[in-house]
Amino acid sequence: MFSQVEDALMDSFSRVLTKLAVFLPGVLALLLAVVLLALVGAALAWGIRSLLTRLRFDERVGERNSAGVSDWAPSHSPSLLISRVVFWMCVALGFAIGVSAYDAAGTSDLAPFIFPYLAHSIGALIILIAGTILARYLSRSVLISAVNARLNYARALSLGVKWLVLIFTAAMVLDHLEIGGRIVEIGFGILFGGMVLALALAFGLGSRDIVARSMERTAEKTTPIDRATERNDTPRSVRHF
Amino acid sequence: MSTTAAMEMRMESQVASDAVSTETVICLGSWYSDAPADALQPLLQVLREALGDRAASTLIAYPVSDPEAAPWHQDGLSLQPYPSLASIHTLTVQTSAAYLSLHEIMRNHSASCGLLLGAEAHSLSPVAIRGLLDAVHNEQADVALPRYSIGPHDGLINAAILHPLTRALFGVRNAFPMALDLALSNRAVERIAAVAQQQTATGQPDMLLWPTIEAAAAGFSVADVSSGVREIPHPTTADLATILGALTASLFTEIETKASYWQRTRPPVAMHSINDVPDVSLPAPTVSPEETSELIESFRIGYGNLHELWSLVLPPQTLLGLKHLSRLPAETFSMPDTLWVRIVYDFVLAHRLRTINRGHLLGALTPLYLAWVASHIQANSSTENPPETLARAFEADKPYLVSRWRWPDRFNP
Repeated sequence: MFSQVEDALMDSFSRVLTKLAVFLPGVLALLLAVVLLALVGAALAWGIRSLLTRLRFDERVGERNSAGVSDWAPSHSPSLLISRVVFWMCVALGFAIGVSAYDAAGTSDLAPFIFPYLAHSIGALIILIAGTILARYLSRSVLISAVNARLNYARALSLGVKWLVLIFTAAMVLDHLEIGGRIVEIGFGILFGGMVLALALAFGLGSRDIVARSMERTAEKTTPIDRATERNDTPRSVRHF
Repeated sequence: MSTTAAMEMRMESQVASDAVSTETVICLGSWYSDAPADALQPLLQVLREALGDRAASTLIAYPVSDPEAAPWHQDGLSLQPYPSLASIHTLTVQTSAAYLSLHEIMRNHSASCGLLLGAEAHSLSPVAIRGLLDAVHNEQADVALPRYSIGPHDGLINAAILHPLTRALFGVRNAFPMALDLALSNRAVERIAAVAQQQTATGQPDMLLWPTIEAAAAGFSVADVSSGVREIPHPTTADLATILGALTASLFTEIETKASYWQRTRPPVAMHSINDVPDVSLPAPTVSPEETSELIESFRIGYGNLHELWSLVLPPQTLLGLKHLSRLPAETFSMPDTLWVRIVYDFVLAHRLRTINRGHLLGALTPLYLAWVASHIQANSSTENPPETLARAFEADKPYLVSRWRWPDRFNP
């Protein structure tokens, strides 16, 4: 009886040791691949950054695009953004190679699960970053426009837009990662619909005068041929331009 | 009339117009595009009076969309249609396309002087138009800009930003650096057309140009011509943020482009003054307390909501000044010139450094500008020559801009 227990324990211990012996080189290979590709990535990023600096890439982008790529970039430098993207792509590639090496080392069913999920995770990360940037951009745009339209609840409006986009992004990320299933869809539908309704009510009730005035102005607007004096805005004692 | 007959008539007219060499080209802006002859009559009458003997050597070009349109003559004036490149700018000011058209026509006729006229040009006095042409022909100025007589509460963006900033940085003392009408010498047109060409090549024919800044950078002379009262056309948009954004974006970009020029200390640009038209002091219209309160309220709403954005752009000392300002009652509301100067300079820097999206940055300037307007209205009765005082404040604080431009990361309390 005891000898059978002992044999079973020895067998288990032996299997654990075998698994460990197979696992450790795999982990080592994974680490090695990540470190190696990170070094290659760093070198590539440095090279690309130097090249772009020499080509005055930031200035050229700045001249052509006053409100685009540079706002997405770290420290508002498009060349830095590109070099960092290259670096992290190399790191992700190293991780993928490492996982495949790990898989080759013995655990046969890991790669088919990890790779698609890794691809989904990268997609989700990109959606998250883009959504966050878009949320910030739109919330600022709304805030500034609302302030210039003299709306007292400008901040609330801006926060509403920001959270709408963030919730939309979060739902997309979760859907992409296949987390939550239909709960996310239903929850998102309820939350998003509720927020849109609340914002529409707030905006509609709070600024109906502004909307009416704006529509009146649009209806009265005539074709401006020379002749801009034909447009007589409300007589005011201050002229800005 | 058959097509052949029309072509023959056009060629005859061309020959007739080329018989006398053209010294001056007067180019009417895009506002006169396809204008019927009747609509041009008031302007032609003013031009006839202004040109006098010079009419024979002057060509008046006006924009048309019909490529078959023929030149014509009327009472000694030669009129020639040209294909319109420009559309009407929101601010009804001259754009790159207008300068390119002027350059093209001047080159075709080997003219030595060009005059661009903006909307409502018939309200200019003939003496003012003659003064602009004389500045180029007789005084050898390269860029002649008019000095309109406007009310103390008119042209406030110009008074708050455009004039003092161009004066402090580029040494150009013209009252209206973004004028509706201007006269240019041949070499000035060539230089400005080269800049305009770059912009139209990148698909931006409606970009604004700053002729006085180009003149300063090229070492050309400028002239300030008193022009009396002129009807100033309304922008085609009533949105202040759009107007302010368009003007400041253009000027701030120009400042960035010419940074190597203005960072060096230089004497003011040589300027001829022609004062044939007496300046008119228009009375300040009464601004109702409600209107002033509206302006102050706009600033306060901005302060309550945009503080976070402003703190990315403005240093703590300026933010503190704004905090004090937001707490002042309407009766004593007053923005010190030094505070406004710092705000403008910090926005110029933030525009260059792209601290935040440029569209957002310029949008966030509007409530601050309205605070300046409110303060300007309050102070107008008590201050002597406010534009001059403000321009001097900009000049005095220029070292701050230069220093921060060179070392933007240096500690700035």
